[in-house]
Amino acid sequence: MESLGDEPWDVVICGTGLQQSLLALALSRSKKRILHLDPNDFYGQHEAAFSLQEADSWVTTHTGSSGAESVAQTTTAAPAEGSAGPGGRVFRNANVWRHPEAEANGLTFSRAYSLALAPQIIHTRSKLLSQLVSSRAYRQVEFLAVGSFYVHEPARGDEPAKLSRIPSSREDVFSNTSIPAKSKRSLMKFLKFVIDYDSDDQRDVWQAHADTHLSDFLTTQFKLDDDLRKYILALTLTLDGKVTVANGLAVIHRHLTSMGLFGPGFCAVYPKWGGLSEVAQVACRAGAVGGGIYMLDTSAEVETADVHDKVSLKLSNGISVQAAALISSRDDVSHGETISRLVAVVKSPLKSLFEATVEGAPAPAVAVVAFPSSTIPASESASDPPVYAMVHSSETGECPNGQSAIYLTTHTSPSAKKNLEQALGSLLATAAEQETPICLYQLYYEQTVSEGTPLVETVGAVPKFSFPSPSPNLAFDDSSLDTVKQAWKQVMGDEAQDDEFMIFEDREGADANDEIYE
Amino acid sequence: MTSEDALPVLKVLIIGPSGAGKSALLLRYCEDHFDPETSTATIGIDFKTKKLSVRGQAYRLNVFDTAGQERFRTLSTSYYRGAHGVILVYDISSKSSFLSMEKWIEEARNNAQPEAVLYIVGSKLDKVVSGGRAVSTEEGKAFADAQGAGFCELSSKTRENVRRPFVEVVDRIVQKPQLLKPPNANNNTLSISNIGSDYSSACPC
Repeated sequence: MESLGDEPWDVVICGTGLQQSLLALALSRSKKRILHLDPNDFYGQHEAAFSLQEADSWVTTHTGSSGAESVAQTTTAAPAEGSAGPGGRVFRNANVWRHPEAEANGLTFSRAYSLALAPQIIHTRSKLLSQLVSSRAYRQVEFLAVGSFYVHEPARGDEPAKLSRIPSSREDVFSNTSIPAKSKRSLMKFLKFVIDYDSDDQRDVWQAHADTHLSDFLTTQFKLDDDLRKYILALTLTLDGKVTVANGLAVIHRHLTSMGLFGPGFCAVYPKWGGLSEVAQVACRAGAVGGGIYMLDTSAEVETADVHDKVSLKLSNGISVQAAALISSRDDVSHGETISRLVAVVKSPLKSLFEATVEGAPAPAVAVVAFPSSTIPASESASDPPVYAMVHSSETGECPNGQSAIYLTTHTSPSAKKNLEQALGSLLATAAEQETPICLYQLYYEQTVSEGTPLVETVGAVPKFSFPSPSPNLAFDDSSLDTVKQAWKQVMGDEAQDDEFMIFEDREGADANDEIYE
Repeated sequence: MTSEDALPVLKVLIIGPSGAGKSALLLRYCEDHFDPETSTATIGIDFKTKKLSVRGQAYRLNVFDTAGQERFRTLSTSYYRGAHGVILVYDISSKSSFLSMEKWIEEARNNAQPEAVLYIVGSKLDKVVSGGRAVSTEEGKAFADAQGAGFCELSSKTRENVRRPFVEVVDRIVQKPQLLKPPNANNNTLSISNIGSDYSSACPC
């Protein structure tokens, strides 16, 4: 067995988050010598998915800065340079709660669960899907449909609280019985506008307002009432409710034009077994098939940077290796936006949320529920930011049959945890068919993000490229693929051919001979 | 008759310690190819396909290689998804190779679906003639029996018994209808492969 330290590596990749893993996939046919490490003993880094046991041990290392008052600017100790850290700075204030009689109520063995740390839905138009297909990695990932989007409507007078499905197609709007005719016309007009909002004809309508709040634009330009505005804002999946016209229209455009692309009734997909974690693992396997060497539970520190055109790295297992390029991830997250997440396992399949709404549509495995800000988002009042709940059925493989995994997200504030818990309570009360289902397990944590751009530096004479931390978005953002391509170009140098990025032939050879055995 | 594409597909993994002869077995079985010079980690093999008929029914067997990820025990959980059978290979000329089987069985049980068929293979049977055996047939068989796994010894070099683990694994798989159609497989998995060719022609609204 050849030794790791014998020959220099063309690139050492630290971290197996989605972006580093996609880079490994992109480099998997390049003949580059690649050493791919992760300081954690699991794949996926910030996008990992955990069994209950793994979640427990992750929590013990991410409980940092638990004093509720000093949440904002506290940072944990700096990780070793070049190691990217095990996500110690990106996630914090983690804690876990179990129902006192969780097992008796159905919380089963640890590996029956695969809870995603930062789940994102993937719109069918996303380049991630076309790249997974063109790179031939898609066969190892199972994709499920994301179904309906709902808005939670609090009780009004005699009317109890309910979940209203957001109409997002022509048919949906026509068949909806709760929207008055006049509002329907405004909504139709808006939906029609968004489909080609970026055409020459339509651009005049919004460009002057590009940087203003979408909410105001909907009122002034399209006369949408409070309810409709709530629907449209919910579709943007933005956590502060203050999305701009330019960004908001782009997101709603993506939503509407993704609808029906792969089949009727859905606009986004979700990878089974824990979302992007699964994509990262499949990408890493492609890297391994291409000859990359994988080591988990191993970090790296820069030892010396003055060895000609190489950098010398000391691995945490004591081995020294030489690298001609370094890939890592940004952990300078202290000034970034922070979001609070609550993952809950509940004892109910919540069937009403997963009904296919269009004939011939696949049964959805994910439903999205928005809890809008209590007041008009554009106002300057101290209203609580919206909460989003991504409800995953057991079809995702993230929990056993008869249970659901619910991922709630909001902007971090002193009341974030309470708001998430309240939203969870409201969701369970309105989505359940009979009695309110009980919650078996909860995992709370906060996630901070770095600046959204990569950090490109040199260590000695060697380039070091650090990916930004995952975006806090609830839908996968294609811009991170551009960053992967940028890193790929950095590593490939002159050999990089734009039109060859992520485009590969199938690996498996032609069929072998038939064999008959009786 | 069913067309080739409609053949039931079975996913079989080959795992085990480095140097046990996993890739040699895969290549000998699927391509009847054996390279005595290649002893280092295998590059470029994702999986190989082989058609196989058992009890009058044809199957398409996708046999997956570890791609070297066994070396530092970094096989991912996703590798095990949907596997119907797992073949665990040790080298009969190496005691430590055999002793690692316990850990590999545990990993397979932890990650593969509960009904997946496990099968243990002692490889490099050809080394016996030169006195290279370090693990007796009885030891291997007793361990496999204790685990409820099938067992055989084989040589990829001489072809002896090379087909046997695959035939027996498939035979065991097809006797478990619940393995072929898991109770919660409602076939909701989507096909995204059409976007390669039809991406632009798909209707956006």
